[in-house]
Amino acid sequence: MTPRTRRTLEFILDNLVWFMLLAILAAFSLFIPNYFQLGIFANIIEASSVLGVMSIGLALVIIAGHMDLSVESVAALSAMTVGILFCSAGIGMGITLEPAWIMVPVSLFLGMLAGGIVGAINGFLIVKLRMNAFIVTLASYIWVRGIVLAVSGGRSAQDLAPAIRWFGIQRLLGLPLTAWIAIFCFVAFSFVMAKTPFGRHLIMIGGNENATYRAGIKVNRILVITFILAGAIAGLSGWLLAIRTSGATANLGTGMLFNAFAAVVIGGVSLKGGVGALPGVYAGVLLLSSINTAINLMGVQANFTQVIHGLLVLAAVLLDALKLRLRQKLA
Amino acid sequence: MKRILLSVFGVLAVAFAMLTPAFAQTKGTVYYLVPTLLDEFQTGSVSALETFLKQVGYEVKTLNADNKTDMQQSQMNDVIALKPAAIVLAAVDFNALKPSIEAAMAAGIPVVEFDRQITSTPSAFTSVAGTVEIGYIAAEQAEKLLTAKHGSPKGKILQILGDPGDPYTLDIQKGFEEKMAAFPDVKIISVPAMQWEASNAGTIAADQLVANPDIDLIFSHAAHLSVAVVAALEAAGKQPGDIMLMSSNGAPVGLDLIRKGWLNVEVEQPLYAQAAAVAAFMDKIVNKAEIAPGQYDIIGLDGTVTTEAWGPNIKLPGAAIDKSNVDDPKFWGNLKPPTDTVKSIE
Repeated sequence: MTPRTRRTLEFILDNLVWFMLLAILAAFSLFIPNYFQLGIFANIIEASSVLGVMSIGLALVIIAGHMDLSVESVAALSAMTVGILFCSAGIGMGITLEPAWIMVPVSLFLGMLAGGIVGAINGFLIVKLRMNAFIVTLASYIWVRGIVLAVSGGRSAQDLAPAIRWFGIQRLLGLPLTAWIAIFCFVAFSFVMAKTPFGRHLIMIGGNENATYRAGIKVNRILVITFILAGAIAGLSGWLLAIRTSGATANLGTGMLFNAFAAVVIGGVSLKGGVGALPGVYAGVLLLSSINTAINLMGVQANFTQVIHGLLVLAAVLLDALKLRLRQKLA
Repeated sequence: MKRILLSVFGVLAVAFAMLTPAFAQTKGTVYYLVPTLLDEFQTGSVSALETFLKQVGYEVKTLNADNKTDMQQSQMNDVIALKPAAIVLAAVDFNALKPSIEAAMAAGIPVVEFDRQITSTPSAFTSVAGTVEIGYIAAEQAEKLLTAKHGSPKGKILQILGDPGDPYTLDIQKGFEEKMAAFPDVKIISVPAMQWEASNAGTIAADQLVANPDIDLIFSHAAHLSVAVVAALEAAGKQPGDIMLMSSNGAPVGLDLIRKGWLNVEVEQPLYAQAAAVAAFMDKIVNKAEIAPGQYDIIGLDGTVTTEAWGPNIKLPGAAIDKSNVDDPKFWGNLKPPTDTVKSIE
């Protein structure tokens, strides 16, 4: 194999998820009526915004060699917090602030604060008390959803303040601002992971926590910050979710955790930690969103949609596994 | 070690603080097994049953199954062991609970089916609006809306179901499509919103509006799904009235959408009457007295009791809510419980 062929192959393998995305988009465009149009592609990007942002926080924790099952419930808590405070119908209190734009940073701050607090509790229990991340965050997944249910009483908040909702309606280059927020988050956190000591240390911790500690890096501090970040980012995704649905229901975001995990794995993040990059995760999110959109348009019987969804995700993960095998052979 | 112990005590203290025992002299305890508390109809049913059953002298304890059949089966088994006066069951799965119902009835505990009719085994009483019938009413309304727009029933309907694993949504779909089959010029596109999650409904609406811009009517199987559909329509630059909307269950959010001009029709389930009927017949149910077929006035609604193979069954008519009657306090979505006290039927 010539060095040039090898470089080309490595490039393809490193970005395989993007090629998979292109292949899937091409196949769906060919075989599903009405799929190939700009509006549908804009929908795919728009529908990816909430899951995308949620996946960033999850990916950070997984890259650090841990687990966070609470992100879905945290997003729901954030959405409900924003909904109760700034919605004017249902259980919304309809709080208004002057000037109206102030509600944007205030609601965003409160949503992220709610997430950050849950993240801090997770971080404290996992890092300081050395409890198992899977169990701690599973417990958070349950009790945080319980809080959402308790504070809402199972009812909905509706009619989000127009100043906040503006982000879901206003478009830039054909995409709503919520989608741009998600894209910005991916760019920003990709930079953090690739170009800052925090990002590099996170990858090192995920690769070998003991070795990183012996190298003099404050592992515990970085891990606690990562859990807080994951919570706050999940809070941000909840804020986006409230904007997208113009309010909040007690079951908002249900099922997103598994999609977030699928996106992270498809995106090339190793569940063992220490491996992964956020651009791949974004491609994974877009891939799942493309599949969802295809299912929405195919008009298949309701009972079969989950089977199709599951099989397509499995196919994507198998392709990713194939990529890893080829990568090992090339090494 | 000290920190772990403190954390354990802290968590336990919070958990136990939430357990509030009830001590009251009543005719007995009725357990209400609710399928989920994640939608407004179900949470409304809890407060309605608690209120009305208290008025006729029963204490109510509610257990939530989180939409899990196995959990509801376990709850049934646990409750049977407690020997309550009666069990009110809104089944997660219409068929899977059959053995549990039979076990309770065999143990002498009357089981009342609430909202979700189970016809495969006898129970002490059934109070329903009828999910298939909700679909029928929705079809009548769809016919009216399409005729008003096109002069005859024709056009395209996007039907957003709930979770495809929930028989409730499949029954509404069955009733709706059965009636709509009479109109061959109407095309129905049916897509499920997994886990009844609102943002899934929004995504479906956004995708379908691009793929099928000629959609005339969107029918969501729950009002909270319509909220996300409206958000998607707004994001697509639509105004109220551009696309006709309809949903079912009569939740408060649906009524708000009617007032704002987005929703044309909400097909309500008569939640208050369904719950009041259970309370009105509870003495007869507990005492295993005969429930005679006939017409009964249930807080102003005309309920019809029939004797079916699965036991006495009261059916209460659902209603179509639109702009003309949206403020009527009899609709549970207006959250104004009836002021009249429910009385036991002699």
